[in-house]
Amino acid sequence: MATTVLPRATTYSRSRAYEWLTTTDHKKIGIMYVASSYFFMCLGGLLALGIRTQLAVPNDTLIPNALYNQLFTMHGTTMIFFFVMPMLAGFANYAMPLMIGAADMAFPRINALSFWIIPVSGLLLFSGFAFGGAASAGWTSYSPLAEAKYSGIGQDLWILALLLNGMSSILGAINMLVTIFKLRAPGMTMLRLPIFVWTVLVTAVLLVFAVPVLASGLVMLFIDRNYGGSFFDPAAGGDAILWQNVFWFFGHPEVYIMILPAFGIISEVLPVFSRKPLFGYKAFVLATVSIGVLGFGVWAHHMFATGAVYLPFFSAATFLISVPTGVKMFNWVATMWRGKLRFTTSMLFAVGFLISFLIGGLDGAFAASTPVDFDITDTYWVVSHLHYVLFGGSAMAIMAGTYYWFPKMVGRMLDERLGKVHFTLMFVGLQLTFFPMHLLGLAGMPRRIAEYAPTVWQPLNVVATIGAFTIAASMLQFLWNMFTALRRPADAPDDPWDANTLEWATSSPPPPYNFERLPEVRSERPLFDLKHPELRKPATAAAVVVSPGSGH
Amino acid sequence: MRRAAIAWTRSLLALAVLALVVGACAEATPGNQVPNFFPAPAITDQGQASESLYAFIFWIAVAIFVLVEGLIIFAVLRYRRRKGDDELPVQTHGSMGFELAWTIVPFIIVVALFILSENTQQKVDASTPNPPLTVDVTGFQWQWTFDYKAQGLSFTGQGTDGPTMVLPVGEDVHFRLHSNDVIHSFYVPGFFFKKDVVPGRTNEFDLTLDQTGTYTGQCAEFCGLGHADMRFTVQAVSPADFSAWVAKEQEAAKATPSPLPSGAQSLTLSASNTTAFDESTLSATAGQPFAVVFTNNEAAGGPPHDFAIKDPAGSSNLLFTGQPLAQAGQTVTYSVPALAAGTYTFICIVHPNMTGTLTVK
Repeated sequence: MATTVLPRATTYSRSRAYEWLTTTDHKKIGIMYVASSYFFMCLGGLLALGIRTQLAVPNDTLIPNALYNQLFTMHGTTMIFFFVMPMLAGFANYAMPLMIGAADMAFPRINALSFWIIPVSGLLLFSGFAFGGAASAGWTSYSPLAEAKYSGIGQDLWILALLLNGMSSILGAINMLVTIFKLRAPGMTMLRLPIFVWTVLVTAVLLVFAVPVLASGLVMLFIDRNYGGSFFDPAAGGDAILWQNVFWFFGHPEVYIMILPAFGIISEVLPVFSRKPLFGYKAFVLATVSIGVLGFGVWAHHMFATGAVYLPFFSAATFLISVPTGVKMFNWVATMWRGKLRFTTSMLFAVGFLISFLIGGLDGAFAASTPVDFDITDTYWVVSHLHYVLFGGSAMAIMAGTYYWFPKMVGRMLDERLGKVHFTLMFVGLQLTFFPMHLLGLAGMPRRIAEYAPTVWQPLNVVATIGAFTIAASMLQFLWNMFTALRRPADAPDDPWDANTLEWATSSPPPPYNFERLPEVRSERPLFDLKHPELRKPATAAAVVVSPGSGH
Repeated sequence: MRRAAIAWTRSLLALAVLALVVGACAEATPGNQVPNFFPAPAITDQGQASESLYAFIFWIAVAIFVLVEGLIIFAVLRYRRRKGDDELPVQTHGSMGFELAWTIVPFIIVVALFILSENTQQKVDASTPNPPLTVDVTGFQWQWTFDYKAQGLSFTGQGTDGPTMVLPVGEDVHFRLHSNDVIHSFYVPGFFFKKDVVPGRTNEFDLTLDQTGTYTGQCAEFCGLGHADMRFTVQAVSPADFSAWVAKEQEAAKATPSPLPSGAQSLTLSASNTTAFDESTLSATAGQPFAVVFTNNEAAGGPPHDFAIKDPAGSSNLLFTGQPLAQAGQTVTYSVPALAAGTYTFICIVHPNMTGTLTVK
């Protein structure tokens, strides 16, 4: 019987720009998420430098109040919705399908849509600056200040941008869930998923439950502002506290949306560079799930001072959520214990994460205690706390993840020597910027003030400003490191870190559809098992050869 | 690595000690204290209870901080890979005993903290049935009004220092917080306490001051353009001084302004919002007293406005301040004494951002 050899379908030769603009490859989309997030991080960082410059001097009139209010509103909104969230979504997009041995996400075209919504909504958000002022009611946009009577068109653009951004998050979350549930490689059972994948899974569930609540709140606020609704304005018969309940019902799970995948990154990086498995894998899964559940029961601790909260419940739930977080902290330390630690830049950032996030976590005990919270809430103490969680936590983990996955993403190693300078500057800058804010808050400095009178507040504000510029310098140096790395020829080996998970079992960067062949999956460390057959239990088998794309 | 870590630890410790020493030596006046790890000593019974709780949580947090950071730094220094050592370390996957321990011990700690915290909360929330003094606080963009209704006194802030609230020590004071526009927050660092001022609801609480002195306060909930300037002062005095102060202020409120000579020039001015006056320029004749008929066009429940003239010498002193304030919907006629020729700036003392030019020829 004669066989017909079909000619291999050739693609039209397209420009690289066209390739990237139309791609549905989860790896390219993941890289675009990461690139766009770094772009927005630079924008948000510039806004922060404006804030810190203004506060270096008491009674400073450098930046007019109206602009200052836009700076901190846009800084918070940009860093949360356009830097941390899409960055973690980008890592999940890039690494998760590889880690579970899948060829792509479950819905590649929806994946492209989720990404392309981000730059569009970002443009919408920032266009406020061109139309008479961006949003200026704070990233929390408390009503009635965010109502039409008190805030201009920038507020409407903010609402529309966040609605779009939320749509991107929901689409992305559903895509992640379906991919994790349906496209795992043979042998990749739920309890063999890498911890990063578990954190992505729980985060996706949080997104699906929390973001629609924000969306409904945003629609109500939009109706209030433009069509005379009366949801949140007491002058029109609405309820000012209702907005806070709706916003924080989303807003506190949002904190875990921004920290759980960061926990996941740290839980991948620490075992690899300690050359040990993660200590207490199952406890880790359990802790992640319980944080996800408890995370929906603590929202009103943002509202203790409103006088409209049943204090004991939210105080108790807030104290309680520190237990699973503490378990993780001890498990990480135990992972390093008796390991053989290699201090790559990625590992340094992971250790920097542990040191800084601990402070953010301990702060939580103060905020959970209602009588203490009455003093520290809405002061610089809270600004310090939230930055220790989001900068000392999420951003440090993002850096660890960038140095870890960069060779896989682009096939080039980042310069480790420059990386260590980057880590040192950034870690020192972080402590200088945010630690003094605890003390300023205790001394009575409220947040979100464009100027302050007491001269005793100045020295620590100057320290914080120096810290902020140190961070900025470290970021410039980091961008330079990436830029020069991208100009070098590809040099990264497939598995530069002697890692454990499947993304390192394919080439750097991986081919379209990811794998030529997959190792057998018998634990959460399939690549480790492959490299150390001597540690295997008796019933061994050769690597299973699978054709590309058949992940079922 | 080891050297760098030790150097960091050393400089961090030095910084911490420095901050503690500076904090201890500094004159601890709430609102003007050198920032350190502890708030200035609270001047209310309720605040003192909360501050002891703060100190307790602080030392527990320090203990956990030292323990965990110590473990991290120890692991980093002790377990780093030596050059040429390629042997795998022992592959420990976990330990039920340890994991249970660091679940149960933190659980017990947080339950204890919660119980202590609730006990303190009861003290903070306690109120007397018939408080001897009630102060109604109204926050509005961007100023405060303090009403002593039983005494028939009302004070609205002027300029960026805001009003002064005089309070007796040793007696329960009942506070009621009101807002008609956006959310504000009544915050006095010396009370170790704040409460939001929410439109549509009246928040109430009791405080007992036990120390005389002058303390600053300021709005702590972001409320728009003038948020940072929404300040006020609390003056705690003895009960006897308080009674004397009430009598003096009641006398001053009765005084009436001197009438204007007939045929004096009359200028019209109005305000409809908190951004600007409706008229940006006024002109008057030099050397003659004149009247300003000032209308506050705000809807009912809106903020008060006022007409005042700044000293052209450039200082922050006012040449003239209109009394009383024009409440929403009111028209008030102010008699202004004769002025020398020149250009003056007039402002609303409630909203110092509202200005205009007065030309006197």
